[in-house]
Amino acid sequence: MGTRRGWLIGTLVGMLALLGVVASLPAQDDSALAYYRQAKINWRLAAGQSLTIGLNKHPFTESLLPAIPEFERLTGIKVEYLILPEQEYFSKLVADLSQQRGEFTVIMTGPMRNWQYATPGWIMPLDEFINDPKLTDRGWYRLDDFYPGLIAANRWNGKVGGGVGEGPLYSVPVLAESYILAYRKDIFDQHKIKVPTTIEEMAEAARLVKKNAGIDGIVARGTPAVPTVATGFISGIKSYTDGKWNEVDDKLNTTFHDPRSVKFTQTWVDMVRASGPSNWANMTWYDAMEAFAAGQAGMIADADFFAATYEDPKKSKIAGKVGYALIPAGPGGKTYAGLWTWGLGMSKATKNKDAAWLFIQWATSPRTLLNATVEHRNYNPSRVSVMNDLRVQKLMGGWGGGSYVKTQQENLKTARVAWVPQPERTRLGDIWARSLHEIYFNRASAADALKKASAEVDKVLQEAGIKK
Amino acid sequence: MNEARRSHWAAVRAVAVLVATVLLVVWTVFPFGWILLTSLKEPRDMLAVPPKLVFQPTLANYEALFLGKQRGAYASTRPDFPRFFLNSVLISTGAVALSVATGILAAYALARFTFPFKNQLAFLFLSFRFAPFITFLIPLYLLFQRLGLYNTHLGLILAYQLITLPFTIWMLRSFFMEIPVEVEEAAQIDGCSWWGVLTRVMLPLSMPGIAVTVILGFMFSWNAFNYPLILAGRQTFPVTVGAIQFISYEQVLWGQMAAASLVAIVPQLLLSLSVQKYIVRGLTMGAVR
Amino acid sequence: MPAVTARGRRRQNALLPYLLLAPAFALLVGMLYPFGLGLYYSLTNYWLQYPHLFRFVWLGNYVALVTEPLFVYALEFTVGYALVAVLVQVGLGLAIALFLHARIPGRSVVRALMLMPLMMPPVITALMWKIMMASTTAGILNYALSFLGLGPINWLGSIRGAMASILIIDTWGNLPFVSLILLGGLQSLPGEPYEAARVDGATPRAILRHITLPLLSPFIVLAITFRMMDALRIFDVIYATTVGGPADATTNLHMLAFQYSFQWYQMGKGMAHAVVLLALVVVASAVLLRFWNRAATHTAA
Repeated sequence: MGTRRGWLIGTLVGMLALLGVVASLPAQDDSALAYYRQAKINWRLAAGQSLTIGLNKHPFTESLLPAIPEFERLTGIKVEYLILPEQEYFSKLVADLSQQRGEFTVIMTGPMRNWQYATPGWIMPLDEFINDPKLTDRGWYRLDDFYPGLIAANRWNGKVGGGVGEGPLYSVPVLAESYILAYRKDIFDQHKIKVPTTIEEMAEAARLVKKNAGIDGIVARGTPAVPTVATGFISGIKSYTDGKWNEVDDKLNTTFHDPRSVKFTQTWVDMVRASGPSNWANMTWYDAMEAFAAGQAGMIADADFFAATYEDPKKSKIAGKVGYALIPAGPGGKTYAGLWTWGLGMSKATKNKDAAWLFIQWATSPRTLLNATVEHRNYNPSRVSVMNDLRVQKLMGGWGGGSYVKTQQENLKTARVAWVPQPERTRLGDIWARSLHEIYFNRASAADALKKASAEVDKVLQEAGIKK
Repeated sequence: MNEARRSHWAAVRAVAVLVATVLLVVWTVFPFGWILLTSLKEPRDMLAVPPKLVFQPTLANYEALFLGKQRGAYASTRPDFPRFFLNSVLISTGAVALSVATGILAAYALARFTFPFKNQLAFLFLSFRFAPFITFLIPLYLLFQRLGLYNTHLGLILAYQLITLPFTIWMLRSFFMEIPVEVEEAAQIDGCSWWGVLTRVMLPLSMPGIAVTVILGFMFSWNAFNYPLILAGRQTFPVTVGAIQFISYEQVLWGQMAAASLVAIVPQLLLSLSVQKYIVRGLTMGAVR
Repeated sequence: MPAVTARGRRRQNALLPYLLLAPAFALLVGMLYPFGLGLYYSLTNYWLQYPHLFRFVWLGNYVALVTEPLFVYALEFTVGYALVAVLVQVGLGLAIALFLHARIPGRSVVRALMLMPLMMPPVITALMWKIMMASTTAGILNYALSFLGLGPINWLGSIRGAMASILIIDTWGNLPFVSLILLGGLQSLPGEPYEAARVDGATPRAILRHITLPLLSPFIVLAITFRMMDALRIFDVIYATTVGGPADATTNLHMLAFQYSFQWYQMGKGMAHAVVLLALVVVASAVLLRFWNRAATHTAA
């Protein structure tokens, strides 16, 4: 008995010792400071200060980690960071921002989130930092190198119902995410299925895939929350209505029950019910992405950069078998896919604003972003120079036999933030997604469910004082 | 004839017991088997339809946990997992130790004494575990920030009392009340003060109960998620928060998550194994009595 | 022993229990402030993004709950789920505890294995089960079932299946807790009643009904109480698998409160939901503890 206890304690102590050793291993070293020193600013003007950065778990943030000691040596600023997956990250972020504790100085955010954070004044506009020659060397930083649509997406003038693209810049984008159709080229070719150009064709293609290839015709997100409607669905419906319909009209009335919306929604839900996976109702983004990568579905209309997974033979069974196309257009023939950018922003409660801006500038500079894409697979690049870099073109050029890059670039021309700017976008999206559930489970007709959802959103907007 | 029937029933009983045991073990352990397999799989194998039971195993996931070399160009230079693991050990041990130390006293008071408001106080203690965590998570966050307890091991140990203390008090109270009063009175006649009764009579006799309480309390602490998510930072995250970090924005590293979850079980396993014999000892003591 | 007057000893004894309770009390009393703050928020319309709208609404949030259709469903589901879960888990837990208490071969191994589900955080447990319960062809559960000739079950994607799945996952994670408490209780029971019964020649069933169960009742009630408190507040499992769906079928009060507070930032309303849930738990526990008191005093006799 005594020896057994001794053995157990010994094992535990040994484990702790090993962990202690591993936990104290030194970080890697890197000396590419010469590139940054080219900028005609004094990187060390905030030396001695410290920053805490709140980051979402993402290839971009992973790319920053090994480089942080480099930043610390360049500027003399001490950096502490915290990384969490998206959901948990936002919970923690809001706890901090809402109490204005200043725990997080630099944060990761994006257009729709900015509407929520800017309304109560939790985040700093960045223009004053960009325009201050003591803080930013515009020639070196090259703000114009970003895709203009991405910078525009991160501007908002605070006006509910409009004003995206004008006004203060709240975050600098580090990637571009839009939505395209990925389909099994091998199956489509084999069974002579046409690549869909309308939603009706898409439903038909899904039906044919299921019938002929024995797998789900389409896979899509289905949890009763905003992500379900935020990617392929909203891109599809905005395209279907030629970009002329908005979920909230200019009098701030919710318009889910508009006949065009009802028609599209009915078609979409019918398609998913007839040809989609049986557990659609609880599929998250990774469920859908992994199902497609496992070869279990014929199509997916979701984030374009998921292609990085589809085309990696170590992670997918369908590498090389995927084709990429725009999400089906509307009668006008144009696709209006949604847009999301992750970017770096600044909390207003920050005491070290200059230090925070130095970090943002460093992290979003051309070289840093290039490294993020080339070495760490941060897709899609938000800077034109990064996208055009030969190494990046080589990485992404082979996807879908070249159809990925072609489609993604084409898409980016017309992609735009799909939502009407207002701080209750998350709530609206959650209600919208839940109405899809009502329709899917035949608990209400599309018209009724959407009418009810519209009324519910109207009530929320009224309570929030956004709408009269 | 009786002999045959009795042995016939004995055989049936034995088979029934065997089947029941097997079912119980399979039900309990099957998901762990699945996690173990997942932790040894390459990402591609995880997607297999139908699920792959035979595949080329790899230790890359475990390597990633401890050495930071993750797949897909995730090159964390300093792996956080060992630190999270240490945090869990520190915080859970601290929380349980504190709960048991204070809980023994409180349970003894509630079990053996009569005094005004006794039932109300007992209920009050239990009630601290009632509230859904969101009721006070943000206010607690505020309070911790102001007191400087945010992102500290001490802060988490204190916050965890909400999880472990009410449970500890009530469990120990029940076990103390099982001990016949005569044994205690005998000790008091011998001249023991309350402290002597506690340490020489109550604690030894309730060893199985204490063992069970410690194990369960440790596991509740170890597996807490919502508190440390909000009240801890990177330096003090326990493994529970660490394990979900494998959900990234463009992929989920199931293999590493599975490996992290399995490694996180080890201290709990070690603890429960080393405490098993106290339960056994208690059993023999009970028989002697 | 120093000479103490009878009066002094009585005074000392009167204070002693409070002194013994003091450390535990000190640890927990700090929590009253955050809880009070949460309660205070429930009386306001505190909405994180709109601080300019902040004002007292007294019981307005609570009144509004009654007309909110999802609240009524969440309330029903919370109570219904808790009742079913406790019944299933304590019933099975008791059976398992009795089973393991008897002398079956390998029981120490089984006992050690039984603890394992408790060693996983609920979040990971839920994710793990979610993968196993995944779509009809890819999930290992359905794959295993297919060997038994049973059709694929839509575990999480159908309304009934989702509710059952939550119960299964919750039970898997918490059955060991119940079994262990009851097993610990069984093993701490005094031996005399059993010896007396054996001498009297009582049948195993009679022993169970008249000796074991009554003696074990404080522990059974304790197990019911803890499981009830947790089942009423179950959250992590639901959030990680169905997110309250499909079609709001697995939305309970805690889920709803979380959505209002952390997803939609309507703290006032969220806290009101949480306080209602809290009231439920308080009432249930008060009732159960009355049973516990009765059980404890009976067994002491």
